[in-house]
Amino acid sequence: MIPTPQAASREPRAEAVRAAPTSPGTVVLCIDGRTVRARPGTSLLEAAGAAGIEIPTLCHHEGLEPYGGCRLCVVDVSREAWGEPRMVTACLYPAEEGLSVFTASERVLAVRREILELLLARCPESPPIRRLAREHGIVESGYRRNPEPTDCILCGLCTRLCDQLGPAAISLVGRGIGREVAPPFHEPPPDCIGCLACAAICPTGHIRFSVSDSGTTIWGRTFARLRCPTCGRSHLTAAEVDFWAARTQVARADLERCDACKRAVTAETIARLTAAG
Amino acid sequence: MEQIFRVSVERCIACGKCELACAFSHGRDGLPAASRIRVVRQGSERGIPLTCLQCHDAACVAICPMLALSRDPQSGAVRLSETRCVRCGLCVAACPFGNMLPEKGGRVAKCDLCGGTPRCVPFCPTAALEFLPAELALRGPDACRPQDTPLT
Amino acid sequence: MRPASVAEFKAIAAATRQARESRREVRICCGTGCLANGAAGVAEAFAAELTARGLRTALNLHDKRTGCHGFCDRGPLVAIEPEGILYTRVKVADVAAICEQTLARGEILEPLLYRDPAGGRRIAYTREIPFYAGQRRVALRNIGRIDPTDLDDAVAHGAYAGLARALGGMSAEAVLDEIERAGLRGRGGAGFSTARKWRAARAAAGTRKYVLCNGDEGDPGAFKDRSLMEGDPHAVIEGMIVGAYAVGAREGVIYVRDEYPLAVVHLTRALEAARAAGLLGENILGSGFAFDLRISRGGGAFVCGESSALMRSLEGKVGEPRAKYVHATARGLFELPTVLNNVETWAHVGAILADGADVFAALGTARSRGTKAFSLVGKVKNTGLVELPMGTTLREIVFGIGGGILGDRPFKAVQTGGPSGGCLPAACLDLPVDYERLAEAGSMMGSGGMIVMDDRTCMVDVARYFLRFLAEESCGKCVPCREGLQQMLRLFDDLTAGVGTSATLGRIEALGRTMRLASLCELGRTAANPVLSTLRYFRDEYLAHIERRACPAGICRALTVYEIAAERCNGCQACLRACPAEAVTGARKGVHTIDPQRCIACGACYDACPSQAVRFRPRTEALTERRPA
Repeated sequence: MIPTPQAASREPRAEAVRAAPTSPGTVVLCIDGRTVRARPGTSLLEAAGAAGIEIPTLCHHEGLEPYGGCRLCVVDVSREAWGEPRMVTACLYPAEEGLSVFTASERVLAVRREILELLLARCPESPPIRRLAREHGIVESGYRRNPEPTDCILCGLCTRLCDQLGPAAISLVGRGIGREVAPPFHEPPPDCIGCLACAAICPTGHIRFSVSDSGTTIWGRTFARLRCPTCGRSHLTAAEVDFWAARTQVARADLERCDACKRAVTAETIARLTAAG
Repeated sequence: MEQIFRVSVERCIACGKCELACAFSHGRDGLPAASRIRVVRQGSERGIPLTCLQCHDAACVAICPMLALSRDPQSGAVRLSETRCVRCGLCVAACPFGNMLPEKGGRVAKCDLCGGTPRCVPFCPTAALEFLPAELALRGPDACRPQDTPLT
Repeated sequence: MRPASVAEFKAIAAATRQARESRREVRICCGTGCLANGAAGVAEAFAAELTARGLRTALNLHDKRTGCHGFCDRGPLVAIEPEGILYTRVKVADVAAICEQTLARGEILEPLLYRDPAGGRRIAYTREIPFYAGQRRVALRNIGRIDPTDLDDAVAHGAYAGLARALGGMSAEAVLDEIERAGLRGRGGAGFSTARKWRAARAAAGTRKYVLCNGDEGDPGAFKDRSLMEGDPHAVIEGMIVGAYAVGAREGVIYVRDEYPLAVVHLTRALEAARAAGLLGENILGSGFAFDLRISRGGGAFVCGESSALMRSLEGKVGEPRAKYVHATARGLFELPTVLNNVETWAHVGAILADGADVFAALGTARSRGTKAFSLVGKVKNTGLVELPMGTTLREIVFGIGGGILGDRPFKAVQTGGPSGGCLPAACLDLPVDYERLAEAGSMMGSGGMIVMDDRTCMVDVARYFLRFLAEESCGKCVPCREGLQQMLRLFDDLTAGVGTSATLGRIEALGRTMRLASLCELGRTAANPVLSTLRYFRDEYLAHIERRACPAGICRALTVYEIAAERCNGCQACLRACPAEAVTGARKGVHTIDPQRCIACGACYDACPSQAVRFRPRTEALTERRPA
């Protein structure tokens, strides 16, 4: 059980990171043997990405706060002073001066495979998960198949996005294996505005919706679609318009009119101004 | 040196070459619907080319909840980050001029001045579209207003 | 009282102590355990009897309800001071006799005394009872002595003496030095250096800082924090005021488990009393230091005891942990520097300041100084709340203080550290209780639950029990813990159903490794510990389940068959009475038999039989025998 130094030496040896002259506000670290410069405060995921090193993620989105839920982006980090490397998630761990990072050490790859095997057991019928698992060498999961297969990997992207956009209509409820994405009391959510952003960000297509000229249906609610006052085409739900009109400085007229009609108006205005001299 | 995309409306003959050039350079099909510059036709021989005005105080930049829209220091354009965009459509709704363009599948596109070398400019036969150094382009306090330069 | 200065407080404390020194006291244990056994009725009976007989004035006697005396197995407990008599299993009907004979005439009532199982001798005095003699109560010093709802009583017994010393001329640095010299380490489980944690918070940027108390004790079988919060809330409060002074915090919160209503009540009253006395609030004891505390009730989940989940819960969010790459001492509650310590850790601070660091440091081992409280439970004769110096061996605890195994059955294992800990076998009995030694052996100190197991425990089943607990309590945020625990459970279901293979073990070990490396918080990271420790020390039991489809302890029902050996049965019918499935038939004094169709293999008959006539063996063995030739 006690970590041994030998375990660390099996991993690729990092070059000694020389104290390179750095501009204030840059840290120098070593990722997979390469010297990388990063702004302090960036995550290992960002620093590696900027250096062209891709680390797989599932629950990560650039526009949202990192979550650290899927654990797919784990990497080994170490310093000379430590005995054994620590396994951390690259999306959250900050780039630090003098850190050595291994994004594909033996145990990192083994852990990623295990995580995908676990996810595949949970979501055996999800094409994106099957694809991702296959990319890591897993065709079938060695674990017990989920008796109630689902496509939801509980990455939380939908709920985190809904919180950040504003409606906060859905959230992660329940604990442990019973955890799920749901509206309050599992009833059609009163706060949903039918923007469909949750469905768009879902990596597995788990969130179902339908759009027709008469309405947008999602989470058990049907939203009347607003028609452009000029051309009659619908592009937003009435709820969306109400929500953004109340919360932002955008004029209601701009929200209601579709982009084509807005261009038509703009063109008209320009034509008028040009003619006027 | 700051460059400005100048549209001289009176020179536009609504030929649509700018739309084709833009669509080609951003995708394979060349479908005008994929173009980020749209000519609002006024009859068959005149048109008003509309594209993102790269507003200094852009409504889209202010509204985006994901901070996906920001000023590109190289080209001076307002650029959309694909990795940050979540297809909420707010920018489309917010742009007062209709220059934020919804695409199929919820995606959004906008003119990004092609990173500093707008492809549509060389294709315009009448030089209705120009990408000029600022001092040449500006003839008034509002850089976004088309100027009535005499055709020479 | 409302002392305006340290000197005034000291004078009041001395006067209060003196005023009570000469009086006799009847201390009725009203900890939750004894309350469940009827202690409230006993306390009321005492109150009524003493009033009726006028004994309070006649004998300068005071009756009080105290917190947990510790010897929970023998409750309701009544202690009489200054004689030091302990009466056990006191019923309402005994109260009159106690008042008339013991209190008024000094006669001891034999039947109410503790009876030492080795020899049968009755012991009258607490100090001579082996359960107590082996202990050293420091964090628990006042529990059982004081009325937890009476500030004066607490002060008379030394409460806030440490605070008085700290505020009476020590700088914050000096307080930090004292805690460092004492060598106090966190008593919540991880054993992190308290001084280091406080120093880090003190050094953190910003003027607004927090001190928090983790009262979300969730380990099954652990109740030492409950007893502290119920029985001596001022010890916790005092520690937090001192800590806040050392760290530079003005605000503190005690996060109490929602399922501890008495603790909430007593803490609330204690806070009110402390505020009224000027021990909380502005200008404490005239020192200029200002600090106040409030209580927050728990979110109702085990995971809320995890430090980052606790802070999120305090922020009004769902109690989910977050990555702790940035320490809470830099950015914790509301992103401000925060010190979170366990109830027991806080309870030590006042004593360390009052008695001096050297007294604390003189106890224990080189790396684990001081004393530790344990909830000693399971198949041990003397279950209860104990505190002893670090370095005491497991043998001394189980067989000395604990009195040995119930029914004198063979010892099998002792589990420490709750669901994050491990099971240690007889070979480890001489291990001294110490953070590092327990960790090296594959277990951990944990918060103080100590579960003793006998030969009627299946270690595979024990591991499964903890997995089930954790699977229920997992917050579900990260894949390795949420999915991993589910899959582990299924693998263990296979084992206990007799369909496990050697591949099952391989899977279990690989999955355990992944959970340990990749889980987001300690719940997931340590979830595999009970599995790994039982695999390490009881691998043969796992192999028996796999290779012979047998449960050596006779616990796994799918694998076990119970039978009565006719030649030993004397027809006493104990098994028949014990059987919940009506599977036993037999006439009185006749040989009994178990109907295999009705038997659910619970083993109640085995435990009840006084003549060892009930046997168990692997179901596969019994089945092959019964197959017709």
